[in-house]
Amino acid sequence: MSYEPRIIAFLCTWCSYTGADTAGIARIKSPANIRAIRVPCSGRVSPELVMRAFDQGTDGVLVLGCHIGECHYDTGNHRAAKRLPILHSLMQFAGLEPERFHLDWVSASEGERFSRIATEFTDAVRALGPVSWRVTPGEWQAAVESLLPPEEQDIPMTALDCSGKTDAIRAKAKELLTSREVECVIGYEVGPRGRTRPVFIYTPEETGRLVWNPDASNNLVSYLPVKLKPKGKELPKKVAVVVKPCDSRAVNVLLAENQFTRDQVHVIGVTCEGMRDEGGSLQSKCITCEEHTPVVYDTLIGEPPVKGLAVTVDRPEWLEKLPPPQRMEFWLSQFDRCIRCYACRQACPMCNCPTCLYERDDSTFVGLGIGLNEKRTFHLGRAYHLAGRCVGCNECERACPMNIPIGLLNQKLAEEIEAAFDYHAGLTVTPSPIVTVLSGEYKEG
Amino acid sequence: MSKIKVDKKSWLISQSELETWLDGIADVRTLIAPRQVSGIMLYRPVAKSNEISWKGITTGSAYAVRPVLSVKEIFFPPTERLFTIQKTGQEIHLKETYPDWETVVFGVRPCDARGAKLLDSLFLDTNPVDSFYARRRGNTTLIGLACKELGPSCFCTSVGGSPNDAHDVDIMLYETNGGYLAEAVTEKGRFLIPGGEWKETTVSPQPSTQTGQFPVPDKGKWPEIFNDDYWVKISERCLSCRACAYVCPTCRCFAVRDEVLGPGQFERIRCWDACAGENYRRVAGGHKPRAEKGERLRNRFYCKFYYYPEQYGLGTASACTGCGRCIDVCPVGVDITEVLMDLEKPT
Amino acid sequence: MNENPMLPYLGKLVEVRDLATEIKLFRVEMLNGGGEAFRTFQPGQFAFVSAFGLGEAPFGIANASGRGPSVDFAVARLGSVTTGLHELGEGDTVGVRGPLGNWFPMKQFKGKNLIVLGGGIGGAPLRPVIQHVLDHRADYGTLTILWAARHPSLLVFTDEYDEWRAAPDTDLHLTVDSPDEKWDHNVGLITQLLEKLSPSPENTVTITCGPPIMIHFVTKMLQEKMGFAPKTNYVTLEARMHCGMGKCGRCNLGEKLVCVNGPVFNMEEVGELLETFL
Repeated sequence: MSYEPRIIAFLCTWCSYTGADTAGIARIKSPANIRAIRVPCSGRVSPELVMRAFDQGTDGVLVLGCHIGECHYDTGNHRAAKRLPILHSLMQFAGLEPERFHLDWVSASEGERFSRIATEFTDAVRALGPVSWRVTPGEWQAAVESLLPPEEQDIPMTALDCSGKTDAIRAKAKELLTSREVECVIGYEVGPRGRTRPVFIYTPEETGRLVWNPDASNNLVSYLPVKLKPKGKELPKKVAVVVKPCDSRAVNVLLAENQFTRDQVHVIGVTCEGMRDEGGSLQSKCITCEEHTPVVYDTLIGEPPVKGLAVTVDRPEWLEKLPPPQRMEFWLSQFDRCIRCYACRQACPMCNCPTCLYERDDSTFVGLGIGLNEKRTFHLGRAYHLAGRCVGCNECERACPMNIPIGLLNQKLAEEIEAAFDYHAGLTVTPSPIVTVLSGEYKEG
Repeated sequence: MSKIKVDKKSWLISQSELETWLDGIADVRTLIAPRQVSGIMLYRPVAKSNEISWKGITTGSAYAVRPVLSVKEIFFPPTERLFTIQKTGQEIHLKETYPDWETVVFGVRPCDARGAKLLDSLFLDTNPVDSFYARRRGNTTLIGLACKELGPSCFCTSVGGSPNDAHDVDIMLYETNGGYLAEAVTEKGRFLIPGGEWKETTVSPQPSTQTGQFPVPDKGKWPEIFNDDYWVKISERCLSCRACAYVCPTCRCFAVRDEVLGPGQFERIRCWDACAGENYRRVAGGHKPRAEKGERLRNRFYCKFYYYPEQYGLGTASACTGCGRCIDVCPVGVDITEVLMDLEKPT
Repeated sequence: MNENPMLPYLGKLVEVRDLATEIKLFRVEMLNGGGEAFRTFQPGQFAFVSAFGLGEAPFGIANASGRGPSVDFAVARLGSVTTGLHELGEGDTVGVRGPLGNWFPMKQFKGKNLIVLGGGIGGAPLRPVIQHVLDHRADYGTLTILWAARHPSLLVFTDEYDEWRAAPDTDLHLTVDSPDEKWDHNVGLITQLLEKLSPSPENTVTITCGPPIMIHFVTKMLQEKMGFAPKTNYVTLEARMHCGMGKCGRCNLGEKLVCVNGPVFNMEEVGELLETFL
């Protein structure tokens, strides 16, 4: 018997599910491959569900909602219209054929339209053959010579004299602590092995530990959500934090998401000429950075540098040019090394959910195991959750002990968000465009 | 203390003899050795000895890089299937699955081998015996490679180890001029050595190095400082990720869950977990012991230097091998040697 | 014992009934060799019960082995495994791994007076103690049972209270935090009831099980107000567990593992632990 694809269709109660019923009543034929899951609204179809469907072996996912402007819940389908294409481009980037995932609009009376869309989708998926998204453990082997990203430009760091900034940070910290304006200054210090690392300074006497240097790469904003969280009725005391331009954008994103209020933090913004990687060259995120001055600060330290490097590097581009099977092979060989230590997640200021969706006590969205499918789902899911929120500090990639270029996923989605919404995370205090639907955002038709 | 060598012979072999020998092993067993994978070194199966990252593990006189993950992942893999479950109506059928291959691991540093020995005291020497670990351990031969000196983040000599300690491997290789000195440490190792083909020698390896030692608090000190607010201060920068525990040769916490394979088909798996996670101890009612980061980081140090040795009978030894991986991977610079030295400072 | 200690025995549910709101009693008849492993188990031990397809979780064994051969478990529906168990009915198959842990030293308690304090579903691991004492009544002194819950609908084993009361030298005292219209026993926390009864420490041991905060306040009152020596106050503690046999490292309280060195402790041991159980 020839291959028949298994297709999951998410149909909304008010329109498309009824549309499917209408097709049935009118005896219009629809493919039997469709397994329908009825949801209240297409906006309820969360990307984690779509990924779970592919993880569990479905050959194609079809999401059908009400036409724009006809949603029973007003803007539910707007959410689907914004979010699912972003998910689609992410999964494509990871090697899924684009034809396997489709979003469309069908109203309750459009039985013919339902049947036509269902048939076309099923035919397209059938032509692709069985899906190869889910990897059977033990059957996939990393090739000895795995596909590697092209060599990145090696731009050595010019020697910088940071003593001026170091002194200014220390002076400011001393002033803030002495006047008791803040209880704690979160900055950088040099540890006993010579590594620059985060430090928490509570007294004016200790401010001599603070430094500024080209290794001050950690995003210290990641400490703020916990540090500033109220404990019971007690409001935590104000905190100062040293930020680079990329870190400062994270402050705006967290403010937009109500993780803390502006008056809880004194932002010591420092202008930045770039950070060094382990080899002594400029970090890849700094090569294309165009903002050398923090976008939000209470105190500014340093003179804004005049010009950037005028180098354009589009890291995701080389991957986009490859055919889907090679893209999938690349990502599988990368995630093969992952040990699900969650260093990437913990280093990210925006990953601050009390219980991570991918670390629940049940396996609703991803299994517990450290297997290839699970690891890919975690990383893709996390990248999706950061769409429109990631500020590109790339600390996730730097924290990874296994050298996995997860920053590529975030960059890809940042490009997608910019193309679709003309939006950069963190430049102003507004939430990500796909997190919610702002009033007046959509006009009829 | 068991005697180190199983027979009094040592052999001197050249690099090419070593490679030929390993090629032969790779033909009949699964050979796992340090290999470069996308810019880092990992223990991975190799089909030929030229896939081994020779430059990374044997360089002239300087210390070379060690694999990011220890040999722990070979005996106690990140995810392991315990059994499959078949559900038909009200009936359940369980089927155990066991790993089946004979393995030889080459390039094991003394600290890694010591880590495996420490895990034995938990998985093998304490009842009930963990049958999965036991199978893998029993089916594996370790070919050690002594270090010529300590690396930048190494501190094995401070925790009772040594860069050329041969106790915990089956065969030990020592780099010499132009080749290697080989010793058979156990019967299992002796079995692999092609005795007739190799040149015997009476040269003995250099004695154990003891340089770079710093004092580590002895076991009795740990209970005294448990409630010190040092633990709160030192943990402020900790991210509660689990990188340190996962790369550690002796951290062994695991979680167990059933996962779906297909309709009516499930598997029960166990996989790595670590006490650093905030939800590690969460109970069904919602109560979360060790909710504070300081309590969790303190637990990791105490487990390594006090709880584990107490539970599994290590005497005065700790469960730390001094390999220094945790120092290398920590994204925020939490440093176990700093903590140990801080604790020994007079207050 | 299986070569694979993580492989559970299969058990058939011969009875499933409601004990209280969202709490069910599961009576399991062991199959495939489990009967041998569970022929004798001691009061205080626990076992892992599997809802196949979801996972397994530890539960105190809720009956004395003398009242076997089946094994009872009281399960409150709180998470994914317990919800899976609650969806099972008579005739379904579960997995059971055990018996695990240490037990109440019933031999040492012989000749002594016993006070058993159970809070909510914490009463379940105490039922084997009560059953054991009732089945060997002459070996023990007086038996005083304090049984508490937040509300009458959350009291467990209500249909056995008459049996307990009817035994010689046995008293049962009930209390709830908030009563319903039909309630005509004590109202208040178990500590208030305990204070009212004010038992003497003379030749007496106490056995407490319930939420950690209850264990804390009950044992505190016993020691501070009534002069009990901590060594005579036994408790059974809980912690999140995944292996139950001292391998996975999760359930440690300081240097002790609740699964292997417990779950039964006396308060002198608990006081010496580095970590608090609260």
